[in-house]
Amino acid sequence: MQFLQKMRGKGQAPPRVSVAEVCWSWIGSFIGIAAVALLHYKVVDQNALVLLIGSFGASAVLIYGAIRSPLAQPRNLLGGHILSACIGVTAFQWLGVYPWLAAAVAVSTSIALMHLTRTLHPPGGATALIAVIGGESVHRLGYLYVVMPAALGACVMLIIALLINNIPKNRRYPEFWF
Amino acid sequence: MNPTGSDSCTPIDISEQDVLEAMKKIQGYIDISPGDFKEVFTIAYNHAMQRIKDSLTAQDIMTRPVHCVGLGMDLVQTALFLAENKLSGAPVVDADGSIAGVISEKDFLAKMGLGASTSFMQIIAHCLTNKGCMAMALRNHPVQKIMTAPALTAGPEMTIGAISTLFVDRQINRLPIVDTEGRPVGIVTRTNLVQSYCVIR
Repeated sequence: MQFLQKMRGKGQAPPRVSVAEVCWSWIGSFIGIAAVALLHYKVVDQNALVLLIGSFGASAVLIYGAIRSPLAQPRNLLGGHILSACIGVTAFQWLGVYPWLAAAVAVSTSIALMHLTRTLHPPGGATALIAVIGGESVHRLGYLYVVMPAALGACVMLIIALLINNIPKNRRYPEFWF
Repeated sequence: MNPTGSDSCTPIDISEQDVLEAMKKIQGYIDISPGDFKEVFTIAYNHAMQRIKDSLTAQDIMTRPVHCVGLGMDLVQTALFLAENKLSGAPVVDADGSIAGVISEKDFLAKMGLGASTSFMQIIAHCLTNKGCMAMALRNHPVQKIMTAPALTAGPEMTIGAISTLFVDRQINRLPIVDTEGRPVGIVTRTNLVQSYCVIR
């Protein structure tokens, strides 16, 4: 009975943020994703490489939209993407013949590793998953996937976050570095 | 939440609505539900109370210097001394200045003939109905005869948490603080304790 009782949830949702906060979230994420996407389409893609992956959309929510969150700090952003990329590539290379298994192992192991290293960053789970389900263009990168797109893309997004999030006087990023 | 409630101000009872109001005032999305914040706050608050209880010691809160009654004084002198200094009790010291006991209103009331747990109001009622003053029974007695001895004392390093527990367990209102030779250097009363807890707030 208590098991079902717990599913009801009795807490309250946090309040809505101010309009200024919405605007700065929009500006930051627009510029952040624009920077990565421009580099991807104008430079990297023409060399048959990848810089823009889906998990950066999720990172943008955190590092431009919830900048106080521990999940959005540089340690988590960089650590989460890099470690998860390693796990994802390894999972595909070892277990790629069973895609369902490789996908599950990649995501679950990267969450465990992010917890253990205090680098929990939700988009890291997507980075690990994309290493498995990203298709031929991702698979042929091998461990380069860790450096680019994962590390490099996260760095570009981080630079934009540092520049944009510190413009308004009552916004501050990061809370901590490592 | 607060086992020794009688000694401390009650902890702030923060509501989820309070947390929501605070979150609205702070710019940016705060990545915690109000309920979780309340839980963190409550644990942190209790932790802080414990830390302060363990860090504040008798010497930080005690009244000093302490007014002492001499062992050779009689009850009239003692009563005058306490009245002059606006005290309800004091340590009793011998010729060397070492503590010999504690004298308080309670000891006087007990001596006035209505048993050990006599209250001030019982004495008033008794005096009014019998048209006599029971205080006359206190004449020509030395303080030594009615004081509480041996005195319960503590060193200056005793924490306010431990003192609070002692006050409750032993039902006392004041605790003389003595140096290593047993000479009173200060006194911690319930008032001192309450003030220390309210300063914390």
